[in-house]
Amino acid sequence: MTTSNEANYLKTIGHYHPPTQDAEDKFFGNQLTYLCWDNHLMYCAPFCLPLPPSLPFGALVRDVLPLLYGEHPEFEQIDWQRVKWFDSNDVFIPDFGKSLKNHGLGHKSLIRFVTPALEGSRNHIDTQTQAF
Amino acid sequence: MDTPTKKKKKLGLKPRYAVMTRGLSWDTSYQPMDKVFPYDDFEGIKIHDWDKWEDPFRLTMEAYWKYQGEKDKKLYAVIDAFAQNNGHLGVSDARYINALKLFIQGVSPLEYYAHRGFAHAGRHFTGAGVRVAAQMQSIDELRHYQTQAHTISHYNRYFNGMHDNIRWFDRVWYLSVPKSFFEDAYSGGPFEFLTAISFSFEYVLTNLLFVPFMSGAAHNGDMATVTFGFSAQSDESRHMTLGIECIKFMLEQDPDNVPIVQRWMDKWFWRGYRLLTLVAMMQDYMLPKRVMSWKEAWEMYAESNGGALFKDLARYGIREPKGWKDACEGKDHISHQAWATFYQYSHAAAFHTWVPNADEMDWLAEKYPQSFDRHYKSRLDHWGDMQQRDERWFNQHLPMLCQVCQVPMMFTEPGDATKICFRETEFEQQKYHFCSDHCKEIFTHEPRKYVQAWLPVHQVYQGACYPDDINPESPGDSPVREVLRYYGIKGGQDNGDFDASQDRQNFDKWLGKKPAKEA
Repeated sequence: MTTSNEANYLKTIGHYHPPTQDAEDKFFGNQLTYLCWDNHLMYCAPFCLPLPPSLPFGALVRDVLPLLYGEHPEFEQIDWQRVKWFDSNDVFIPDFGKSLKNHGLGHKSLIRFVTPALEGSRNHIDTQTQAF
Repeated sequence: MDTPTKKKKKLGLKPRYAVMTRGLSWDTSYQPMDKVFPYDDFEGIKIHDWDKWEDPFRLTMEAYWKYQGEKDKKLYAVIDAFAQNNGHLGVSDARYINALKLFIQGVSPLEYYAHRGFAHAGRHFTGAGVRVAAQMQSIDELRHYQTQAHTISHYNRYFNGMHDNIRWFDRVWYLSVPKSFFEDAYSGGPFEFLTAISFSFEYVLTNLLFVPFMSGAAHNGDMATVTFGFSAQSDESRHMTLGIECIKFMLEQDPDNVPIVQRWMDKWFWRGYRLLTLVAMMQDYMLPKRVMSWKEAWEMYAESNGGALFKDLARYGIREPKGWKDACEGKDHISHQAWATFYQYSHAAAFHTWVPNADEMDWLAEKYPQSFDRHYKSRLDHWGDMQQRDERWFNQHLPMLCQVCQVPMMFTEPGDATKICFRETEFEQQKYHFCSDHCKEIFTHEPRKYVQAWLPVHQVYQGACYPDDINPESPGDSPVREVLRYYGIKGGQDNGDFDASQDRQNFDKWLGKKPAKEA
C-alpha cells in the first residue's frame, strides 16, 4: 500500500515522478542566466534572463549589462579591465570573444561581478556618502 | 391521535460530546482500516493508541453552528453599518487600502486553501477525535474566506486592485509565494500538514500575521476589517490548540516520531517566516498610522513567546527550529528589502507603492537604529529624488527567484547586509538556487518535490504567462504589458506609484481635498 519512495527523494502513497519544470529545452533555445553586480542593492535582487548559449561574453558586457544596470550612477565609471568575474563562487577570467558556452556557463549559471572601488552599498558604510 | 411520550432525559455535556463526536466513528469491516486510511502512516509517524488523543476543544457540531451563527450575525451587522456610513472615507489615508489589497490577494486565498487542507485531514486521519477537530477547522476556514471577501468587497467598489484576487493568486509573481507555501503544505501527508499549518503557522507565527493586520486596521480607521479579524481570532485559539495538541500527541506516541517532527518544524518555521516577509513590509511601510515595527512584533511574538514554547518542548527532545537565529537576525532587514523590491517592481504588481515621507523615514530610523540609515535610507532618498524629477524608477528586468520560497533573491547574507545571500546545489545535472541555507536544506531533503516548482519568472520565459493571442516565442515589443494582460492587471490603474494613482485622486476628491499633484 504505502510506497516508501526514498530512491525517488519523496515519500508518496503511490508512484509519482513529477517533471522537472525548468528543463533547458523549454526556453526556445535559450538558457537561463542569472546576473549579479555585487553590492549594488538599488537592484533588489540579481536578474534572470534567457540568453543564447552562443552569446559572446563581450556582447553580454556591451549589450546586456547596460540594459540591466545602466541606470545606476556608478555604472558608467566601471573599468571593465579591472572587473572580477565569478561563476557562482569561482573566479574566472572571461574571453570577450568567446561564448557563454565556451566559458562553461550553462543553463541556470550565476554570473557575478565585482567592481573594485565602485562598491555600491558597501561604500556607503565606509564613507557615509550616498551610495546604494 | 398522539400518544404522550415520555420525555427522554438529556445527556450531560461530557457524554453528549462523546456520543456526538467519537461515537459517530466506526471501524470498517468490508475493507481493512489501513486501506481506508492510507494517508496517515506513509509519512513514517507511528501511532499506537489513537484514544490517547486529547480533543483540543470539546465542541459538538450542534454547539459549533450556534456559536458561529452568533458571530456571523454580529459581523454582518457591522459590515452593513460600515457600508451605509461610507466607512471607507474614514480611513487614515488611501495608502492604507494597499495593505487590504495585499490581504485579499495574498492572505484570503490561503484561508480557502486551509479549508481544503483541513477537509482532507478531516477525512484521512484514523483517529476520530482529530478528524472531528480538522473538519470543524475546515468549516472555520471557509467562513474566514467568505467574511473577508464580503468585508473587503465594500472597498472594492471604490478602489482598484481588489477585483480579481483568485485569478491573481494563480498567476501573479509575488502571489506564488503564499500559493506555493500552502501547496507545499497540503500536498504533504496529514501529519506534516498539521505541523505546517496548525503548529508552525497558527501556533508559532499567527500573531505575527493577525496582530499587525488587525491592529493596523484599528489604528487606521478600518473598523470593518477589525471586526472580521476578531470574528476569526476566536476560531484561531481553537486552531492553535489543535496545533500544539497534534505535536504533543506525535511526540508522546513514539520516540521514532521525534526526528520527523523536528525536521518538519525546521522546515515549516522557515517557510512560514519567509512568507511573513510580506507582513513585515506591510507593517513598516504600508500603514500610514503605524502600530509597532516588524522588529518589535518579532521580538514580542516570536522571540519571547516562541522561545518559551521551545523550552517547553525540550523535554520531548525537540530543539528550536534550525532557522531561528537567522530569522532573528533578519528582523532588522527583511521589511526594507521587501519594500525596495515592491517599489521597483510596482508596475508589475496589483497595488501601489511609494517612497516614505520624511516623518516616516524618521520613524524607520528610530525603530531600526542598526540598519535603516546605514543600509536602506540612501536608496529610498535616491528614488525620491528621481521622482521629484518626474523620473519615477521602475526596474524593467525580471529578478532571480529562490527555488523553494519563490521570493526574489533579495535577502542578504546573515551578518552582512551588503551582500546577497546565494546558495546552490545540483540535482540530476541541473542547478538550483536558494536564498538561504534553510531553503536549500528543504530542497535537498525532497528535491523531487521542488524541481516541479512553478517559478513565475521562469514561466514567463517559457511563454506560459501570455494571453492566447500572443506568440510565446516572440511576445512583441512589450512582454511586460502582455504578462499584465495575462494577469488581468490594468497597468497604471491597479499598480504603479501611489502619487499618480486613481485611488489617490479619488480619495482626495471625496474628501474635498485639492490634489497635490496631477497624475
